[in-house]
Amino acid sequence: MSLTTRSGKRGRFAKVSRYAHAATLMSRRGGTPHPGNDMERMLENLPALVDQIKAVKETIIANIVLIGQIPSPTFQEKRRTQFFMERLAEAQVDECSTDGYRNPIGIIKGKSSDKPPIFLVAHLDTLFAQDVDHNYTVKKRTISGPGIIDNSVGVAVLASMPEILRRLDLTFESDIVLAGVIQSIGRGNLRGMRHLLKTWPSPIRGAVCIEGSELGRLNYYSLGMRRCEVSCNIQQPYGRVHRFRPNAILILNDFINQVLRLRLPQRPRSRVIIGKISGGLSHGEIAVDSTIGFEIQSDSDKMVKEIYNKIKDMINGISNEHEVELDLKTISNLNAAKLRFDHPLVKSADAVMKKLGLTPVSEPSETELSIFLAHRIPAVTLGITKGEDYHQENARIRIEPMFTGIAQVIGVLMAIDSGVCDG
Amino acid sequence: MDNSWLAKNTFHHSEFADLNHLVQEKQRKGLSVSLCLPTLNEEKTIAKEIVIIKSELMLRYPLVDEIVVVDSGSTDGTRKIARSYGASVYKADEILADLEKYKGKGENLWKALYITRGDIIVYLDADIKNIHHRFVYALLGPLLLFDGIKYCKAFYDRPIATGKSKIRPTGGGRVTELVIRPLFSLFFPELTQIIQPLSGEYAGYREVLEKIPFPIGYGVETSLILDIYEKWGLDVIAQVDLERRVHRNQDTKALGKMAFVILNTFANRLEKLGIVKLNKKVYYEMIQYNLSRDEYQADIFKIQGVERPPMIEIPEYKKKFKSN
Repeated sequence: MSLTTRSGKRGRFAKVSRYAHAATLMSRRGGTPHPGNDMERMLENLPALVDQIKAVKETIIANIVLIGQIPSPTFQEKRRTQFFMERLAEAQVDECSTDGYRNPIGIIKGKSSDKPPIFLVAHLDTLFAQDVDHNYTVKKRTISGPGIIDNSVGVAVLASMPEILRRLDLTFESDIVLAGVIQSIGRGNLRGMRHLLKTWPSPIRGAVCIEGSELGRLNYYSLGMRRCEVSCNIQQPYGRVHRFRPNAILILNDFINQVLRLRLPQRPRSRVIIGKISGGLSHGEIAVDSTIGFEIQSDSDKMVKEIYNKIKDMINGISNEHEVELDLKTISNLNAAKLRFDHPLVKSADAVMKKLGLTPVSEPSETELSIFLAHRIPAVTLGITKGEDYHQENARIRIEPMFTGIAQVIGVLMAIDSGVCDG
Repeated sequence: MDNSWLAKNTFHHSEFADLNHLVQEKQRKGLSVSLCLPTLNEEKTIAKEIVIIKSELMLRYPLVDEIVVVDSGSTDGTRKIARSYGASVYKADEILADLEKYKGKGENLWKALYITRGDIIVYLDADIKNIHHRFVYALLGPLLLFDGIKYCKAFYDRPIATGKSKIRPTGGGRVTELVIRPLFSLFFPELTQIIQPLSGEYAGYREVLEKIPFPIGYGVETSLILDIYEKWGLDVIAQVDLERRVHRNQDTKALGKMAFVILNTFANRLEKLGIVKLNKKVYYEMIQYNLSRDEYQADIFKIQGVERPPMIEIPEYKKKFKSN
């Protein structure tokens, strides 16, 4: 990593910053990076970045509002994609384009042509439908609106990054690839991310995935996961009458009870989360349809498969016993993947966060991170700020912590650029 | 009726999306631009308007030189929030404090002429939920790019927020269609070409705005159009399509009050221009009824019927601007 001013290559970055000192030290070493020393210097300067980032407050908030107010449910991210691209183009990012899957990408060129790129990623889709009122409310200390935490803030930080780096006079050895990815959440099953990495032509040095909240998260591993839906639809076949007309809700109740009786191992850690349920028509009618959504999670892919097979058998059993059709669908799945806690990227991210007064909290994360780790690319997921009512229409973020969150992201990018993930 | 104005002076915001070009024209002509936001309890939307315009049209493209909030005495956090996002905030009562004090949107707009310094003043309502910087640059476009145009009005689709987090795709503009358009059709058919005469977003050159009177209340939009039309003709006016503006829904009674004020303004203008002679004094009270505990109770809304004179006639203003 080096912290230098942009030179003649792009005259608009000619102003010399206080960080030029680190660059000078780098060049004295004949360009051979010494990650340890650079990290120390970078960490020293990191807290000062927070106030400098605050000076870009209007741009960041404007981006949160302008991006967040464009509805972007999964599979309908086109307008948000276009706007994101326009922002990058307006910020004079060196290369702006979409990949073959229409993921928008901007590349801030680094100084070294032989260092692989570093990815900064945020997903563009949200949980909220087009017809939900997406108009955000900005107050003195907070911003609220649907999808703000997951993940309009992340996308806005991505869109603001060229301006932030310019104001901080920061450049990198590696190219910084700003990737907004589509079709990420729920049924999207991280398709945009999967495609991006599948088709990316060259090695990748490391990656940072950003999510709106919670500031302090440091995700570096993901569980094996299978997300499924079971639907029960009781059709009355011609010529046949059920002796006891089944109730679709009670059928799924039976299913829940059987899931609860499953004996799950403590090692590898495994669980089944029942997260969604719907069914029936009115209070006084026997329900003819019902749906349940659940997720199998485990440290071990093998265990995910075993549990899935047990559930499949369970469903066949219920189906036969009650003479109803139960349909089990897999919506998405992920393989377990992790970095070790002593991986230099994790250690660096931990140090960056602590230097900024944050207490890192590590939990598994089934986000874009999983796909990077599955490709053996060192990556972490970081949260930008603190928020409340995460997935509600009135989800709210706090403005002030956001500047620390952005400083943290930049710190980790610098760590990767200094070579912590190399070798 | 000659309706060539509609085709000639109607624009779409996308025609002015080249912000660099607008900035160049502004600089070439040596102009400055002030944005004025009149407020009364707008804490939910004011910050968003300020931060977006500041980010996009002050920091990114230097099109706007100042953002000024003129407040009618909000009791919520409007002034504090606006100040925290860098706007210059004034209480209307404290501007030209020696004059008699009135409350109303028109009063705020009129006083903004005194405290702003721009050659062009852009007025935006402060309750726009879907604010985008096009609301400002699109109003400036015709003024900067076409020499004859001195005043520009916005029009748009008006979906209304129903309060249940859903947007109704149609609605709004009821006072326009039920009050203004019939009146224009009766007395000034040419003005029916203005799609939304009551829109709260418009911009004009100081040299025009300072020479016309301002009613202190809601009638200000109507009177500005009528006075500019009478004094300089329709060709100095343009209108621009901003596509979509989401605003708070107002109930019928509130709209009734608005219609009352506008009718009053209109009647005054008709009489002043000698078009109609009223043989009886009009009343300045709007009477509506509410059912309360099985009884109808009168809800009386009084207007002051006051109009501020052209700002150019105010000595303090003359002193401030003519000495420059």
